[in-house]
Amino acid sequence: MSLRGGRESAVRLIATALAVAVGVAMLLATLASINALGVQNARGAWLATSPPAVRSNASPAGQGNSTTPSNIEPLWWLVNTEEFGDQLIVRVDVAATGTHSPIPPGIARVPAPGQYYVSPALEKLLGAVPADQLGARFKGTQIGVIGPRALPSPSDLIIVIGDRAGALAHVPGAGEITSFSTSSSSGGPDSLGSTGLQYVLALLALVLLFPVLVFIATATRLSAARREQRFAAIRLVGATLGQLTVISAMEAAVAASLGVVVGFILYLPLRPAMTHVSLTGQSFAKGDLSLGIIDVLVVALGVPIAAMITARVALRRVRISPLGVSRRATPSPPRFYRMIPLLAGIAELAYFVGVGHPKSAGGQTQVYFSGFLLVMIGLVVAGPWLTMAGSKLMARRTSNASMLVAGRRLSDNPRSAFRAISGLILALFVTSVSFGVITTLLVDHGALGSGSLASETVIDQFEGNNFSSVPSVASVPAAVVDRLRAVPGVKGVTLDYAAPASMKSSSPVPDINGLGGSITYGVLSCKQLKTTPALGHCRRGATLAAVGDDIAFMPVTKSVSVAASTTWPTAHLAHGLTDLRVQLVAVATNGSATTIARAQTILEAAFPFTSSTSQFGEITPQSSQLLTELKSTSEIVIVASLLIAGCSLAVAMAAGVIERKRPFSLLRLCGVPIAALRRIVALETALPLVVISLASAAIGLLASDLFLRSQLGLTLRMPGSGYFAIVLGGLIVSLAIIGSTLSLLEPITRLENARME
Amino acid sequence: MSMAVEKSVVRGDNCLIESREVTYNFGDTPALRGANLSVRAGEILAIMGPSGSGKSTLLHCLAGILVPTQGEVWFDGRRIDSLADKERSMLRRDCFGFVFQFGQLVPELSAEENVALPLLLSGFRRNDALAPAREWFQRLELKGLERRRSGELSGGQAQRVALARGLVTHPSVLFADEPTGSLDSLSGELVMELMVATARDDGTTVVLVTHEPRVAAYADREVVVRDGLVSSLVSPAAP
Repeated sequence: MSLRGGRESAVRLIATALAVAVGVAMLLATLASINALGVQNARGAWLATSPPAVRSNASPAGQGNSTTPSNIEPLWWLVNTEEFGDQLIVRVDVAATGTHSPIPPGIARVPAPGQYYVSPALEKLLGAVPADQLGARFKGTQIGVIGPRALPSPSDLIIVIGDRAGALAHVPGAGEITSFSTSSSSGGPDSLGSTGLQYVLALLALVLLFPVLVFIATATRLSAARREQRFAAIRLVGATLGQLTVISAMEAAVAASLGVVVGFILYLPLRPAMTHVSLTGQSFAKGDLSLGIIDVLVVALGVPIAAMITARVALRRVRISPLGVSRRATPSPPRFYRMIPLLAGIAELAYFVGVGHPKSAGGQTQVYFSGFLLVMIGLVVAGPWLTMAGSKLMARRTSNASMLVAGRRLSDNPRSAFRAISGLILALFVTSVSFGVITTLLVDHGALGSGSLASETVIDQFEGNNFSSVPSVASVPAAVVDRLRAVPGVKGVTLDYAAPASMKSSSPVPDINGLGGSITYGVLSCKQLKTTPALGHCRRGATLAAVGDDIAFMPVTKSVSVAASTTWPTAHLAHGLTDLRVQLVAVATNGSATTIARAQTILEAAFPFTSSTSQFGEITPQSSQLLTELKSTSEIVIVASLLIAGCSLAVAMAAGVIERKRPFSLLRLCGVPIAALRRIVALETALPLVVISLASAAIGLLASDLFLRSQLGLTLRMPGSGYFAIVLGGLIVSLAIIGSTLSLLEPITRLENARME
Repeated sequence: MSMAVEKSVVRGDNCLIESREVTYNFGDTPALRGANLSVRAGEILAIMGPSGSGKSTLLHCLAGILVPTQGEVWFDGRRIDSLADKERSMLRRDCFGFVFQFGQLVPELSAEENVALPLLLSGFRRNDALAPAREWFQRLELKGLERRRSGELSGGQAQRVALARGLVTHPSVLFADEPTGSLDSLSGELVMELMVATARDDGTTVVLVTHEPRVAAYADREVVVRDGLVSSLVSPAAP
């Protein structure tokens, strides 16, 4: 019947199938991206190996390289990270203890001392950048390139350096391994950064699924209105309701199946382009974007089955008698109680701003998880009420005919209007929260504050940051300090010494991060401190200053912005600075990328096994990179969810126009210009999109502000123009998608159609 | 009612709307083949004819909804078939009112908002549009139904609301296409009585398409469309 119902049926079938096809293509692209994240993580799992390897997650070493005998000779192993500009370099130091030591994946053999393998991207970078800015960090000769199967992304910067086992044995954090991890969550120090943030990335990708699924559900409802009217005629000739249900389900299944086939075809040319649009900001390798057999089966079977269920549900909402179609009842309007979860969620987050966050990590997780979850559930539950309230207000006040009709339609069935954008509201909320938090953290820690004293100061941290694996140094050779001072653009070098227990200071050390009492951390020479003002100042006439532990790495504090204006108490030492261990080197620069890279290279070459050099106050480079990745993912999720919502609304709009074909045609016939009808349908669709988008973004930023205030003592920094450009740009493109379907209105309401009804 | 068939078309000095040798084809199928008709100002004219005779097509040509394949349509001394689509739309909105068989009310709007809709579209403020709309509820015996939606009205009530909407802008001509076609005889009579009464009160010209002689009897004059041509049926009571 779908195929033999004449031109109108065919058009309806094709329109539904095309809409489903677009949705299926987007669904496949999203699934492939999520899979690609998994593939990337699996390929990089070997970098998460930590001594001793966790046996349950480990596989036999040297997979694919050689047969490993049972008497494995262990491999000395140490993973560190280094920074170059805003890029992260993973440095792996290895030393074989015998000929049968496990070989890291992607290379032919364990490099001997003085040899190294690099990833293709790092090889290219080493060739392009002067050695004193990067190459000098790695002593030795390159003997090969790391193969693609060991690279999470083609753009990853990785180096595997050969060392002497005897040398590595004395480096804290290094250890012997006999196998490599095959899971990035295998425990131990996460060499590539926080696994938690990786999960957040995956979660963000999953958030994309909601709008896609909503879009597909909307598409399958495209022709419901006209179908119902036709069914009345079929009832007239004796069809039972059961038979109508079967016909309806079959029609939906035919259109959806056709859509699935076309969707798979559409996905194929989409795939190559997607390698450039990574969810994590790092490109995918060819082949990463793959679909498992389960994915294919779920989409191929799930979409038609879901379409059949949707058709069945849609039919239950109407009473089809032989004399026509009527709605079973006007849907009851949503009540105000729908706002309760949202208000409760916001109230919970606000409450902890007042009383302070729980002390335990578990308590914090519980509080914030439940708070954010309540807000998210609240947004979805409150959406129809908000839609109704807004549209009622508009319809009651307006003198504009288009706004009146649009407002009445929205307030009549706000659930239906909201359904098309319910996926968007979650995506925008989650991404706005992440944007708000990330921007605040990055700005506060100077990563974005180019030109600030903090961002111009390079530090190499040796200890005091609670990372037990980080070694300290007995002293910094004078030659290293001299080389640093000789770099053009370097303004000064300050060494921070570990304070001895016997040290006394003139007054308590200021608590500069506002998170509780600061303990004495180190002692600085005032002469040197004068050259690195980002770290603060000495009291007048003092020669030594006692500095607090806040000045060191604190994962998330506001110490960086406060440190520069802090005057540290005077320190008194009986024997001066000699014999004290150095725990931090700070290098003040003129802020130029070249100077910073040169200073970092000198420090990395001098202290290769300590933690990475970074700019002062930067959260660890790993976290910084992951935050940037998170931001990149958020951007993609915002744009994609807005586009998908635009598609959903366009399809919903088409269904709305088809449903009101007769009154619209007759209005047009009465002289109502087509532009006025366009305004009506455009308002019906664009209004919820714009209002809900802005509301969810605003609530997301509010929630992130409440979180930052209570947990971190920070005030939300509004995301930069990039965020607003993305939201507005996405909205404009979505509106353009909606606008493009407005052209449907002309043929559907053509004057000659009116009398043919 | 005895009637004589005339081949000529009434034409006079007071002619408000007129078709001259109007031809209209749906693809290869001719619906009108040189239809001539003129309607005087204030006249109530019924266009009758069997199904498929072209009577609705003639009404649509007279109202500027369809552009004749050949021939001319004049309204108030102005040729309208050569106007651009936008100008014809403006003409329909400002000078004409319409009542159709069914389904013309916007389902989302209340009855009074439906009546006020043409005024709102013309730029009236909300209260300025609703006030005259409410007056029509009194005139058309619809008091108390202002807030009802179209789905909550009977067929006759919905047609009277549609009639109110057609007349609220005080059009020069009201075009009614089978206005009682979906109503029972009692409701149909009420609609016709009110339509004729209000048209006469306001001096509105009515062009009515119907196939029911009982409905046509409300008109001052009846014409028949058969095979795309117009013939006049002059009743003894005709002026």
